Amino acid sequence: MRPNNRLNTEPDTAMSDTPLSLAQVVAETHPARAAEDAKNPRECLKIDNLSLFYGEKQALFNVSMSIPEKRVTAFIGPSGCGKSTLLRCCNRLNELIDGVRIEGAINLLGENIYAPGMDIANLRRRVGMVFQKPNPFPKSIYENVAYGLRIQGISNRRVLDRAVESALRGAALWDEVRDRVHESALGLSGGQQQRLVIARAIAIEPEVLLLDEPASALDPISTLKIEELIYELKANYTIVIVTHNMQQAARVSDYTAFMYMGNLVEVGETKTLFTTPRQKQTEDYITGRYG
Amino acid sequence: MSAMRNHFQQWMNSGSPWVWFTAGAVSLSLVMVFGLLGLIAGNGLGHFWPSRLALVELEGEPPVLMLGELADHETVAASRVRDGGGTVPEGATVVKRLLLKRGNRDLNEQDFVWINAPSIKRLEYPTDVVAIERREWGNLYGRIKGLTENDQPVPATELPARLDRALALREDIDHLEKEEIGAVNYQIERLRLREKAARKRGIAEAELEALVAEKAALEASYQALATKLQTLNAEIGRDKMLFETITGEQRPVALSKVVRVYAPNQLSTGEKAAHYLRKLREFIAEQPREANTEGGVYPAIFGTVLLVVIMSVFVTPLGVIAAVYLREYAKPGPVTSAIRIAVNNLAGVPSVVYGVFGFGFFVYLVGGSLDQAFFADALPSPTVGTPGLLWSALTLTLLTVPVVIVATEEGLTRIPRAIREGSLALGATKAETLWRTVLPMATPAMMTGLILAVARAAGEVAPLMMVGVVKLAPALPLDGNFPYLHLERKFMHLGFHIYDVGFQSPNVEAARPLVYSTALLLVFIIMSLNLAAIRLRNRLREKYNAAE
Amino acid sequence: MVMSRAHHISQQFDKELEDIRSRVLAMGGLVEEHLAQVLESLSRPNLELAEYVAANDFKVNNMEVEIDAECTAILLRRQPAAGDLRLVLAISKVITDLERIGDETKKVARVVTNMINTGSPRSYYVGVLSMGHHVRRMLRAALDAFARMDSRAALAVAHEDPEVDKEMEAVMRQLITYMMEDPRCIRGVLDAILAVRAFERIGDHADNICENAIFMVEGKDVRHVALEQIEQELNRRHDDAQSH
Repeated sequence: MRPNNRLNTEPDTAMSDTPLSLAQVVAETHPARAAEDAKNPRECLKIDNLSLFYGEKQALFNVSMSIPEKRVTAFIGPSGCGKSTLLRCCNRLNELIDGVRIEGAINLLGENIYAPGMDIANLRRRVGMVFQKPNPFPKSIYENVAYGLRIQGISNRRVLDRAVESALRGAALWDEVRDRVHESALGLSGGQQQRLVIARAIAIEPEVLLLDEPASALDPISTLKIEELIYELKANYTIVIVTHNMQQAARVSDYTAFMYMGNLVEVGETKTLFTTPRQKQTEDYITGRYG
Repeated sequence: MSAMRNHFQQWMNSGSPWVWFTAGAVSLSLVMVFGLLGLIAGNGLGHFWPSRLALVELEGEPPVLMLGELADHETVAASRVRDGGGTVPEGATVVKRLLLKRGNRDLNEQDFVWINAPSIKRLEYPTDVVAIERREWGNLYGRIKGLTENDQPVPATELPARLDRALALREDIDHLEKEEIGAVNYQIERLRLREKAARKRGIAEAELEALVAEKAALEASYQALATKLQTLNAEIGRDKMLFETITGEQRPVALSKVVRVYAPNQLSTGEKAAHYLRKLREFIAEQPREANTEGGVYPAIFGTVLLVVIMSVFVTPLGVIAAVYLREYAKPGPVTSAIRIAVNNLAGVPSVVYGVFGFGFFVYLVGGSLDQAFFADALPSPTVGTPGLLWSALTLTLLTVPVVIVATEEGLTRIPRAIREGSLALGATKAETLWRTVLPMATPAMMTGLILAVARAAGEVAPLMMVGVVKLAPALPLDGNFPYLHLERKFMHLGFHIYDVGFQSPNVEAARPLVYSTALLLVFIIMSLNLAAIRLRNRLREKYNAAE
Repeated sequence: MVMSRAHHISQQFDKELEDIRSRVLAMGGLVEEHLAQVLESLSRPNLELAEYVAANDFKVNNMEVEIDAECTAILLRRQPAAGDLRLVLAISKVITDLERIGDETKKVARVVTNMINTGSPRSYYVGVLSMGHHVRRMLRAALDAFARMDSRAALAVAHEDPEVDKEMEAVMRQLITYMMEDPRCIRGVLDAILAVRAFERIGDHADNICENAIFMVEGKDVRHVALEQIEQELNRRHDDAQSH
């Protein structure tokens, strides 16, 4: 099925007789936030006609969508549908792979991150990322969290101490590790490691947080902790999460995008998409009929 | 028959033959390793144990008396002895022969003699004979008949005290010669070069005067030291002892030439053990004497270890940097593959080829050019354009760098991509990621490479013979004179020492046990170096256990 | 509309959904049968039949409990989404409506028993009977629409509810006339009014079933929405679907 362009670019018009604007939806559901949002730019990332090629093979086909600020947007879809690839386009991590070619644009608060002369390191400071498997560096907990700050040349002990503590608190890990921040991060459990990695990402205060299946390697309790954390983090960060677990997407996200074979099939408010998807492919996927 | 075949078939199918086969291979390897070590240790360690002095009386008119250590024995065909001119009892087909180390090399024409057992009339171990270790000419075996001070007799019981005095004086003299006079000479030489260079440039009168004054001061201090040395030499020559061989020949022996006097036939086991340990210490910590066949091997140990250390200092950064480029920056393609293959093949080039290269390239080309450029004042005598420690270390670096490259590349490959991406995602550049995260995690692999490199380098002799090793180096490459580490100096090496003592020595029989001892020491040192590196690597591995 | 009929990857899930769907239809069939029997016993007075219906309402109740448990199990095990979720939700609501219809039917059966026992004149029940037939048709159509997942048919049924209400008003007026004419017949007429009320409720429940069917198919909650608006919406979507 050909993706409907009108739908793809406007996540909020999935299912209603009169197309609701995002602002209206927010005004209905969170009156307080609506007031706040009225002041802020609402669109954080705008993906514009993005195509990606691995050599000859095209992995993303003219994807266009917008990702609202301080909300959780989930990418779902079967393996190999391009959702992780799309996520990695948002901090230009795909460029590490040989033979990758990208067309189109992604605007971060109005600035095209694929514009020539873009400082990639600086972009990645603004767009943090957490990976599927917890990947703490073999250093102490403290040094892991301080890593990004040290890269930026901050070495003042007091500044670092404060930043590390606040990041660990932000990642709901401080109470568990406050007595052993100078011990190796590898001694933490998987769930703690993943929260440590999140702390490491938020220590440099990015604008966007990309989560690539952050809970897929964790046990259910740790998964719930991560989900709870995501819920808390969205007050301050724009979060984009890729997940295989549809229930997780339904639980944590405000907006959901369904991708299939490199196409963006449908994007909309999560509760709408999970009860009344517009596209048959979406319906088949989320009800377990895919394939 | 068929039952037996069935049984055999069953046994074959059970898989135990394979277990036996593999276990057999392991056992064989173990036997070989421990056999090797045992042989070396057995032959080498026994050398320092004091052997008794045997008095042998041979048949003849007049009877021949000999005194010495029984070093070996063998049984040979009687015909061989007869052909050699020896007398053998009628009807005997084999003859037992004893090897006697007679010592007294300056008195006898032969240090070692074979004695046919049948011709021995008397063999005993008299208690009053002594062994005297000398600085030159090997041991003396015989009796001490008296002691003199300035040719006036004194009681023989004062011998130990007077010997201690002589040894203390000898130490002072050595110190004076090596350290103080050496330092002054070194400064004078530098001054001479400075003066020469200055003259070439054309200099101010005042400066020249300063140089001359400085030179005069140095000459004066040299004179003072020389005088002191003369006094000491006079003093050490004060005492002499009267030595008598077993055949009654007498001659005076200056105590200044004596290292140690002991009566082996009187020693208890405990005293022998103490003597043994003293000799062992001397072996490890002292300078060699008598064309390396006596004394210690300290300079060789020092040279070997220093060489390996300097090589490590060169090879680690070089190998790591090359590996980082190949793995992290080079675009994968035919060129990179070709380089990688070339590097791997470099490890297979015979080491002597590296020696030739080192001699031609480092010593002549690089060293010669450096001499032209920086040490022209000293020419025609070369400063660095001659074999030396630096060129040896560089040659070994070249020899071992492929190992380090391969091991480091392997380690870099094993770092999970997630770690790199995690670092990049935090805004680190590629270089920052490498430096802060990837390289520390690859250190265990680098250590593995270094361990292999050290193991290979410490055992190499052939290339070193061309680029810096000598049988006797006048000074250690590390001393108290600025710049302390003298990379241009020639040095001694245990591997070469073994070759030299074993094959180039004038007295092969005497040197044989020393070859074994030195070999054992070489094995021990390489093992220690390796163990240290392995422990370091294990510590690193523990620290970065995520990587492997 | 996007009501996929493709099979799930989990065939067991397919079976479970099919199972509760058919059970709901069986339950609907039973309720409808009871309603038909009550109408039968009313039109040709048949005490046994009426008593049979009253006595067998427990079967309907049991079915409701069973299906409800099954719905809970499916929610727990499968976490259904989209169409599946709406199906399960709709079923769990529809069975409540069906159970209520069963209760109302039982009430009518009691009225019929009473009528036969007290010998009330059947003339009171002429209007009641025709209303009963009407709601029975409505119920059948609603169940049909639900079974076929036909939102248009369901909407058509929903259109009938106002008709039933009008009809009830007429019947009530008639019954009130009876009571005013002859106060002695008040007791008998009150019974008839009870039956009218019951049929009216059944009509409402049938309407609910239609609404649930529409929700299930369209994913649109049409409760408390004017019929015309629903109709417009359905037409718009239909056109949309055509244009795809």
